[in-house]
Amino acid sequence: MATSKLQALWNHPAGPKTIHFWAPTFKWGISIANIADFAKPPEKLSYPQQFAVTATGIIWSRYSMVITPKNWNLFSVNVAMAGTGLYQLSRKIRHDYFNEEETAAIKE
Amino acid sequence: MSFFKTFLNSPVGPKTTHFWGPVANWGFVAAAMADIEKPPEMLSGNMTGVMCVYSALCMRFAWMVQPRNYLLLVCHASNETVQLYQLSRWAGGQGYLQLKEDKTPSP
Repeated sequence: MATSKLQALWNHPAGPKTIHFWAPTFKWGISIANIADFAKPPEKLSYPQQFAVTATGIIWSRYSMVITPKNWNLFSVNVAMAGTGLYQLSRKIRHDYFNEEETAAIKE
Repeated sequence: MSFFKTFLNSPVGPKTTHFWGPVANWGFVAAAMADIEKPPEMLSGNMTGVMCVYSALCMRFAWMVQPRNYLLLVCHASNETVQLYQLSRWAGGQGYLQLKEDKTPSP
């Protein structure tokens, strides 16, 4: 029983033999790369790049719910992207705009 | 005029998600262009490398999807180009593109 279900999945028109599977699946790589970059110091983060990741994530999250059928896989990967992008943006903004008192005090 | 009307009402036109999704993905290209002059130490090897693989996959996806999405294809072709360029700059900055230094003095 299990093998025929697996076979059905394997041969699905949007299954692992097709690009319809791998393009959305690989999109997780963007979130994983961003999570790996959580360890980077905020000075090295890029405002344009993180803004693009966040904006893309939000727009695609919305549209994956508007298409027929609703694509929860696409929805979840884009929510993750928007989440990591927002976190990176908050790290950089906090560093650039809210640490000035501390760095000024250290320089004294 | 009629060309615009056809475009506005097409199945991949601005009334559909097939249009605005690719428009959102142009953000990656715009971000890379904004960062084109940044010193290589500031670039993220993780993100740039992932983008190169991702845009290659999405070019294929845009070609195979029904209806064929040329907007998405052009978007990811552009992103592939600019991300590969940024990746080469990052790799150069990391020392991956150096020729082997010949330390022995030539006779």
